[in-house]
Amino acid sequence: MSEFQALSEAVLKGDIKTAVAETQAAMDAGANIQDILDTGLIATMDEVGDRFSKGIIFVPQMLRSAKTMQECMKLITPLFQKGGVTSKGKVLIGTVKGDLHDIGKNLVLMMMEGAGFTITDLGVDVTPEKFAQKTQEIEPDIVAMSALLSTTMPSMPLTIEALQNAGVRDKVKIMIGGAPVTDKYAQEIKADAYASDAGSAVTKAKSLMGIS
Amino acid sequence: MNPIDIPTFQPRLKVLSREQVLAIHTAALEILEKTGFRMEHPDALKMLADAGCRVSDDNWVRMPGHLAEQALKSAPRQIALHDQKGNKTMPLVDGNPFYGTGSDTTFTHDLETGQRRRTVLQDIANFAKLVDGLENISFAMSMSNPEDVPIENIYVYAFAEIVKNTNKPIVFISDSGKDIAKIHQIACAVVGGEEEFRRKPFILNYSEAISPLRFPENVMEKLIFCAQKSIPICFPSGSNAGGGAPITLAGAMALGIAENLVGLTVHQMFGKGSPFLFGPNVSTLDMKSTVVSYGCPEWALTQAALADMRDELYGLPIWAYSGASDAKVMDAQAGAEAMFSIITSMLSRCNLIHDNGYLEYGGISSLEMVTMVNELVAMSRFFVQGIPVNEETLALEAIHRVGSVPGSMFLTDDHTFDNFTQAQFIPKLLDRSRYDTWEEEGAQDFYKRCNVEAKRILAEHQVEPKSDEILQAIDKIVQGG
Ligand code: B1M
Repeated sequence: MSEFQALSEAVLKGDIKTAVAETQAAMDAGANIQDILDTGLIATMDEVGDRFSKGIIFVPQMLRSAKTMQECMKLITPLFQKGGVTSKGKVLIGTVKGDLHDIGKNLVLMMMEGAGFTITDLGVDVTPEKFAQKTQEIEPDIVAMSALLSTTMPSMPLTIEALQNAGVRDKVKIMIGGAPVTDKYAQEIKADAYASDAGSAVTKAKSLMGIS
Repeated sequence: MNPIDIPTFQPRLKVLSREQVLAIHTAALEILEKTGFRMEHPDALKMLADAGCRVSDDNWVRMPGHLAEQALKSAPRQIALHDQKGNKTMPLVDGNPFYGTGSDTTFTHDLETGQRRRTVLQDIANFAKLVDGLENISFAMSMSNPEDVPIENIYVYAFAEIVKNTNKPIVFISDSGKDIAKIHQIACAVVGGEEEFRRKPFILNYSEAISPLRFPENVMEKLIFCAQKSIPICFPSGSNAGGGAPITLAGAMALGIAENLVGLTVHQMFGKGSPFLFGPNVSTLDMKSTVVSYGCPEWALTQAALADMRDELYGLPIWAYSGASDAKVMDAQAGAEAMFSIITSMLSRCNLIHDNGYLEYGGISSLEMVTMVNELVAMSRFFVQGIPVNEETLALEAIHRVGSVPGSMFLTDDHTFDNFTQAQFIPKLLDRSRYDTWEEEGAQDFYKRCNVEAKRILAEHQVEPKSDEILQAIDKIVQGG
């Protein structure tokens, strides 16, 4: 049984108050920050993701757990730099140029955050130049693009081109998704991964980072 | 002495009380006054400010309710959509329901192979032609997002293809002020000029605001263009419960209506009296799959509620959907979900009812589904007509004849002969044959029969052709001339 049993249960339930109190208690008791993060929070979110994909819980419950985790993170992030705690990876995400659909993108973003990634969200209607410029600025591990319209899918290869021109294509992994996007399309435009929904976006992102 | 005629009661669905209607409307106005919205079109923003809205940083607007009330008064209560021959085939008013297809699916089910594949321009032609040949499908939409046309001009190509393959009214999509101008040109070319088009419009634009409460510049461009050119338009936002809007249907409706009222207000400012079809899309976000459902009871319920709001308050014809499903193939689920929305939209007298023939929550278009919907609409119309009660239909004489003479039967009575075509619903594709006959005829299920019928219509139906002159004009406009 994990030493963070109570914390874990609170995150599973989405009980923010208890989870935050448990995190504080663990910190006060001198627990290792990385352990709180890995065992107490992220492992629990993995369990949450698993329950969601099995249909045991629904989206609002999953998102509530993610929010609970975020609140706990607020307590421990200030200690990150000092103790050298690592996140799963940095992700830059946005809905591509011409496209204003954002609900799917936001869901993907929240799930990834829940799984321990650090996210920068560029919002909707993001131009290739904007993706490239931000990539240069924050040096993410993954650039994630969402498109819901077949008319805006061509913005994806254009964005990849812009990353290339900015000399940062090879420094990042590129992941794409959204209703009309397919695995085949991802291969055609030489993206590194495609995900069909928010759950598999997390799995794909992890495997891009070489973590299981 | 002639008895007094008894009017036939035509069954009608009500789902909201007047108090509920007023409460939702008040909530919508409160959203506009207190929360406000983001208007990204500079001219619209200026108009709203001049009319008395409070505009703060970031183009955020708070709008007094009376502006919306004013717009509701100036928009016409009837939108008379015509076919391309100038006949008023779709008077959108009060209790008139009209069914048509949907737009933009990524995939279609190939009629020959049954495979799900990307849509191409030829699919648009096929869907339009099928619509032209089906008596209960009143208007055409693209049903496809074709992969084989230049993507910058996709909606112009789509529109031209529909025009070439049907003479029924068309509901169309466009991207911005640019392509909509071309589409308008094509429409004018078809009927012989802008003046003629204004008098007998045969197209209606489908544009959407972004829930929650965002009005992008390109979307407003289209709205303003339509207002100025008197092109009928609908402006539903995607206020889906749990996604673009709150999970509870009342709140989702209030938000969607608020967004619609912004559209209507700006629309009437730019073209007082121009036709505006009212209503948001209030479906629901499925909390397991995260899919916005096209087969759920929620959407059927919110549009029935909207019809009540039309009757109690707004008076404007409304936008709706039906005949669609979340199923991946045209199976029993598809039939059940399609019928649910068809019958409820008819019972509540929604007006312009699109998306008939969708599968996979709007991902797949299906010619077989459209063919099925044609039959289900006929079935529903029969039901909604009610039971005429009069001397002829009470049939006391026939009862007396048959009842009093041993050995006689209704089947051979003149009354049956005289009345059976009106008194009965006569299905075309729904199978009622005896088992042996059904087996001998190939043991076809409903899907298969719809497949055969769709193929037959595509092979045999003749669309009244347009003149070479018109066709050339269309091509010139499409090519950018
Ligand atoms: C980076 O890695 C990844 C990995 C996975 C990723 C990913 C990125 N991004 C997404 N995923 C994946 O994970 C997510 C979670 O599991 C999933 O995201 P989804 O977005 O699929 O799922 C969301 C959680 C819920 N789903 C949604 O939010 C989309 C639902 C539907 C109904 C939809 C909505 C709601 C809207 N729409 Co739009 N809309 C439709 C949609 C039809 C449908 N049933 O899907 C679709 C996408 N729309 C369409 C169209 C045509 C349009 N829409 C438009 C507008 C809108 C609204 C604004 C009204 C609204 C969006 C509101 C908003 N804030 O986002 C217009 C375009 C606006 C624009 N420029 O973007 C307009 C052009 C319509 C018009 N007349 O103007 C169609 C696209 C067809 C096509 N092939 O191109 C459409 C399929 C409907 C249809 N059948 O016609 C996965 O795709």
